[in-house]
Amino acid sequence: MTEFKMDLTRRRVLACAAGFGLAAPFINKAALGQTPSGQIRVWTFMSASGTSPRERVLRAIIDEFQAKHPGTTVVVESQPFQELETRYVAAIAQRRAPDLIWLRDTFLSLVVDRNALADLNEALTPEFRRDALPDMFDVFAQKSVFAGKRISLPLWPTPAQIIFYRKDALREVGLTAPPLDWARFTDVAANLTKGPRFGFGLPTSDNSVSAFINIMSGFGPQIFDPATGRMDLTGAQALETAEVVRQLVARKAVSNTLLNAMGDDIQDQFAAGRFAMAQAFSARFQQYQQIASGYDGRELAVSAWPSFGGRPPAVLLGPYWTVGLSPQTQNKVTAVAFLEALYSREASLRWAKDAGLVPDRRSVLSDPFFSQPAAEVANEYQKLLAGQGAFVFPQRIPDITRIFTVLNTALQKLIGTDAPSRTILTEAKATLGW
Amino acid sequence: MNVATTRQRNAAGSADPAAATRRTGLALVVPALAVVVAVNVLPAFFGFYSSLRAIFFFGDDGFVGLRNYAQLFADPSTWQAIRRSLVFTFGSLALAVPLAMLAAIGIRKLGAWGRVLLTVLLIPWAMSPIVVALLWKWILLPSPGGLLASILAVFGIPPINLMSNPDYAMPTVIAVGVWRTFAFAAIILTAGLGQIPADLYRAASVDGLTALERFRRITMPLIAPSLLIVLSVLTISYFNEVQIIIGLTSGGPIHSTTTLGYLLFEVGFVELNQGRGNAIAIVMFLINLLLIVGYVRLLGGGRK
Repeated sequence: MTEFKMDLTRRRVLACAAGFGLAAPFINKAALGQTPSGQIRVWTFMSASGTSPRERVLRAIIDEFQAKHPGTTVVVESQPFQELETRYVAAIAQRRAPDLIWLRDTFLSLVVDRNALADLNEALTPEFRRDALPDMFDVFAQKSVFAGKRISLPLWPTPAQIIFYRKDALREVGLTAPPLDWARFTDVAANLTKGPRFGFGLPTSDNSVSAFINIMSGFGPQIFDPATGRMDLTGAQALETAEVVRQLVARKAVSNTLLNAMGDDIQDQFAAGRFAMAQAFSARFQQYQQIASGYDGRELAVSAWPSFGGRPPAVLLGPYWTVGLSPQTQNKVTAVAFLEALYSREASLRWAKDAGLVPDRRSVLSDPFFSQPAAEVANEYQKLLAGQGAFVFPQRIPDITRIFTVLNTALQKLIGTDAPSRTILTEAKATLGW
Repeated sequence: MNVATTRQRNAAGSADPAAATRRTGLALVVPALAVVVAVNVLPAFFGFYSSLRAIFFFGDDGFVGLRNYAQLFADPSTWQAIRRSLVFTFGSLALAVPLAMLAAIGIRKLGAWGRVLLTVLLIPWAMSPIVVALLWKWILLPSPGGLLASILAVFGIPPINLMSNPDYAMPTVIAVGVWRTFAFAAIILTAGLGQIPADLYRAASVDGLTALERFRRITMPLIAPSLLIVLSVLTISYFNEVQIIIGLTSGGPIHSTTTLGYLLFEVGFVELNQGRGNAIAIVMFLINLLLIVGYVRLLGGGRK
């Protein structure tokens, strides 16, 4: 009797096992493919408990995602923004990478070369590929496609390094906005220097941006050789760029005492009223409206960079943030679901409404919000994006980890020494080995 | 019988007091030694191994022999960085050691108030270097809002651009580095001064030695071991200093504060050239070693 029972039980177990084995692929798709669950880790420069406009929006998106998918947890592990890509590639090598990673467009080629990003063409849901991808700004979305693989999605399509200006200061010289050619811009910036206030603030000591490139972007996208991705640092355009810098200093529009200023220093001092205009990171507009202490925050406005020779105003779209998926993720379903949630129409509208950013989804621009005064800045950015002078960094720039520091040293020499411009730029070119 | 028993015990190795002591000592040292090997020796060897390879952004392109070193020494900026490191190190020592000595003497003379003084002086030492740098960056900001600029403005003096002037940047960084560290030296020297018998000073006074002679003939020779510790530790500390430079000047303006330590940070962590970055680290280690050997010979070599 006992023998019979045991035999029956064994048969049942075997039958059940076989049944589960046959059904497993379907269970996987039906259950796991549709239902996000469990925990994912996200690396970004923001904090989920931060109070800046962008951090508050991120928190809200996470809360909504977790409410919509009970049993999911999104853990944000904040990292220093300049180390995100490095730490991520190291984490990939140690097999402890997060599921989702924020990275700068300028580092995409390096991270791709380390096989550290999953192909989103295979990971994203058909609905997202059909509805969301064509709805994004093409110039940003295409930059993330390497050899047919889509390795990240661009976030916050704003013109990155832009010019912030004070409308009240511009009114002093009878203008409503800065001129958009360098000759007149230099005149105006010189006239805006008054007492302790300088007409124009430029960061000169950053590892990931260089005002020299932003000024030179006034010559348009051809400043980058399409074949090599390099810039001609001793050519006529670079020399004219150097001349603009020298003129700004000679006419006291730019201070020669700010040779160590990082982007944050310039923006903080701008908020304190030290500059009438300054190079700034556009995504921080709302933050700098809020912390303005040297003037009324409502007087803050944005402008494209001036151009050379009657070209369209320059808008260099980068470096900007993109979000990628780890090929090592153990919870792909939830990671992809959260990635898609970051780019939903609702999230796009929230980034725009609450953080003043251009929405990632173009269709969101038809929302009534964008006809209200509160959307003035987002609309302004949108106009700049649509302008003829808008372009991105090439997909691959050689020496991308060195170019900004080398050009910032050149900028410091242009501002702080009397050495000939050609000599300074030749040294920079030699340092890069170009 | 007794002899046989002792031989048997010795053979078993359990009764030899010296051997037992050695085993106990070894057992106590091994854990610490293992930690040192794991966190110092092995990474150092791995660093040297990496310096012989072409590694960029964690991608290893293979063995390149001494190419990283050859490129490093062929680059004039490396020699400039070494020179600046030595200027920073010895400039800081020249300021910190006399200040520490004065502070140590003051602390001993002041008694209980001396301990209060020591506590106050120790506050910067307890602070993170990067916090110190950011604090001083705000103090020295040459615009409205900067503390120094605000104080100078009261006297009608315009702001001084200490950090953005290539001539002033290095002295400024030295001053901030010394402000943070000299209290550490003061503690060591205070302890060293405490070891000198008071009788020696009394006898010297009876012999008619002046205060300067007493300092030169008694204090200096007897405080030499403490001084050796101070010089060694501070030399390593100053030669490797990078956080204050990152926070205050980012190696600028125009590379005027780019020391070898900062160059290592820039090449290894900003440019992500980890092969060459490790080569710089090895060069720094060798220079540190040379400096310490020099101190030992200068201050401790004559001792038996």
